[in-house]
Amino acid sequence: MIKEFTKGLIKENPIFIIVLGLCPALAVSTQVVNALGMGAGVIFVLLGSNIFVSLLKNFIPPRVRIPSYIVIIASFVTVVDLLMKAYTPTLSDNLGVFVQLIVVNCIILGRAEAYASKNTLGRSVLDALGMGVGFTLGLLLIALAREVLGAGTITLFPMGNFNGTIRIPGLVESPARVLALATGALLVVGYFKALFNWMETRKKGGA
Amino acid sequence: MKDIIKIGGKLAIICATAAIALGLVNAITEPVIEEVKKRRLEEALARVVKEGQVEEIRTVERDQIEGYYPVTDSEAEIIGYVVKLIGLGYGGDMHLLANYAPDGTLKDVVLMENKETPGLGKKAENPQYMEMFIKAGGGREIPTRKDMLSREDADSVTGATITFMGIANALKAGSDFIMELERE
Repeated sequence: MIKEFTKGLIKENPIFIIVLGLCPALAVSTQVVNALGMGAGVIFVLLGSNIFVSLLKNFIPPRVRIPSYIVIIASFVTVVDLLMKAYTPTLSDNLGVFVQLIVVNCIILGRAEAYASKNTLGRSVLDALGMGVGFTLGLLLIALAREVLGAGTITLFPMGNFNGTIRIPGLVESPARVLALATGALLVVGYFKALFNWMETRKKGGA
Repeated sequence: MKDIIKIGGKLAIICATAAIALGLVNAITEPVIEEVKKRRLEEALARVVKEGQVEEIRTVERDQIEGYYPVTDSEAEIIGYVVKLIGLGYGGDMHLLANYAPDGTLKDVVLMENKETPGLGKKAENPQYMEMFIKAGGGREIPTRKDMLSREDADSVTGATITFMGIANALKAGSDFIMELERE
């Protein structure tokens, strides 16, 4: 049972192994805080949609299952979007249209169709958490690489005296700017994908 | 036929439930979102207007200009205009709030909502960035090309030229608009 959760972290990591949801992963990984925000949004939507799809799996007629899933997913995305706009407006600005685009994030529809519609509630919840955390971890890795090397900073939430940005001496003066741009996103994702592939083949005893 | 009604009915039930739930969430968040928008605008207004009283907004149907607020002194004399501008940046629209003297000279400006690249175009949110535009307009032309800037300023906008041009063109449009307004 616990495997339903852990499989999403590395073995079936949505970004690096299943290669789903790359579009938001490339777009919002410019700052660590955006990666965390996007991750939280995706976890919430994934959890909500998996729960409802699993609960309603006998109610939803098979012929209109995809429209039904989309309605459920879109509702949760709208809730996230409204909540972010109201309570974390800066984050909402940074993520922009990508919050609304969670609707078409293949991870969520993919999990609803391939998993939640065939499994029990408990398993679906664990699957959603695992996939969501796996997505967040992937996003966080990309964002860390891009922000640290590309801008020399780590942007988190401002708390008390801490203004929210850690500046890394040596890098902040002359960062590798290209990594902060769209090109850099593809480069970083490519290297991580290669790393995960290498780990996979090594485990199998390959070259 | 019966089948289709049954399937359609079930889908309609799902949609209706979702719509009701969203309506509830919207009822809770809408006032908060309005509050956030109002607070941001007030903060930006306080940053650009150091003296005088900001009057009600007048909307304008014009390219790059959303509207303007006349600024008056204690004798209700107009001492400037705050113009809401939209510049075209690298990541889409950039919302600017610029305070002009009646002759079109830029007094102060802040960059509000934008989707520029962090570390590059986003730097325009810093008050220091806007110093190259301040006191331009009216007498001195607003720099809209990099060769109109000092060497230092040109260096600082390099890598985010589209952001610079977007802001500069919007500021120029605002300045021209104020000069026209004053002539009328």
